[in-house]
Order: sequence, then structure tokens, then C-alpha cells
Amino acid sequence: MGSVTKKWLFLKVSSAILVPLMLWFAINLASIYDKGFEQVLLFVSSQPSKFLLSLFLIFAYFFSALSISEVFEDYIEDQKIKNAANKSLNIFAIVFPLLIIILIFSL
Amino acid sequence: MENKNPISPHIQIYNWHISSLVSISHRITGIINFFTITLIGIWIASLLLGEQSYQNINLFLSSFLGKFFCLGIIWSFSFQMLSEIRHLFMDLGYGFEQKTTKITGLIVLIGSFPLTVIIFIIGRVLI
Repeated sequence: MGSVTKKWLFLKVSSAILVPLMLWFAINLASIYDKGFEQVLLFVSSQPSKFLLSLFLIFAYFFSALSISEVFEDYIEDQKIKNAANKSLNIFAIVFPLLIIILIFSL
Repeated sequence: MENKNPISPHIQIYNWHISSLVSISHRITGIINFFTITLIGIWIASLLLGEQSYQNINLFLSSFLGKFFCLGIIWSFSFQMLSEIRHLFMDLGYGFEQKTTKITGLIVLIGSFPLTVIIFIIGRVLI
């Protein structure tokens, strides 16, 4: 399997997993966005929201990194700039959700 | 070796169709969602910094602008979800007829608004 096919397959699988997670998160966001510190803390630190939120972050960033790299591919002509943009995107899409997940599990 | 792959033409070259509108909106909402999820991560991080730090964000989210912001996020998620479902069906080989692409494109474009309202109501009333 070629790397482009693999990328397409990863994009599709992550998309199929992300849709129900996104629906779950959007409903809960509507429920808690204006709530106080204690209520939001309770939501983030209790199960199953702790697990689902972590899963949502992993797949959201994985999917975003793959799909935004497609945008870079289509609109950035200079190969060096494209590579730098892709590397920065990939590093951020790994480090940031990892930090937030560690934080969620330490709450 | 120099990359000879063509890059996408500027979006103003072609006439606008529903499919192109859905496609470009899908990309824009995808990028918006990337930044939105990052903001949500910062919101979660503010919980660790304590109640005082959280209060500043809560003050904004409790305002009219905060509600509008939250609805905007949910609309962007709704659009992405519907558009992704459309793409997944197309990947399975369905919905390539011109009439069908127009109809499904309209479902994504228009349907994202009632879906936003439904999600918001479920979140506020049922949970």
C-alpha cells in the first residue's frame, strides 16, 4: 500500500470515528459551556467523559493534521515552506493534545 | 527534483456551484475546528490553574457573545459532521450523480443550521 493510499485510509477511518465523538462533545459543550468551575471540573474529571474527551482530542488532532496537510499540499507551492508547515503542524498535533490529556487525567 | 504537481487554482477562477461551496466551506470549518479545539484545550487547562483563572473565561462564556461563540462552534462541528458523512458515502461509491451531489450538498449547507439548534436544545434540556 502506497503512502498516499495509507494517508487517505487513515483520514477516512479517523473521520468515521470522529463523527460520533464530535456529536457527543458538541452536545456536552452546549450543556456545560456557561457552567461554573465545580460543574465543569466534575464533567472533565469523571468517567466516561474523561476517556471520551481524550479520545476526541486524539482523533480531532489526528484528523485535522491530515486534512490541513492536504490544504498545504494544494495551496503552498514552495516545497521548503510546505515541509516546515507540515512538520510544525504534526508536532503541535501530537504535543498539544498529549499535554491536555495528561492534564485531564491529573484533574 | 522539482515537484511538478499542479497546485489548486485560485478559488475565484471557477463559477461557484453547491459542490464547490461545500468543499471550500468544509476546508474552512476544518481549520476553524482545529483552532476551536485548541481553545477548548486551553479552557480545560484553565481548570488546573484554579477557580480564579477559570472565572475570566467563564465570564465571557456566560455572556451573550459567549453563547453566540458556542453556537458558532456547534455549527462548525455540525457542518463538518454532515460533510464528513457525505464524503464517507461518496467514498463508498454513492451519490456521484449531479442531481444527488446538489441535493446532498444542500443538505450539508442548510441542514447544519437545524442540526446546530437540535444539538444545542439536547445539550441544554436533556443533559
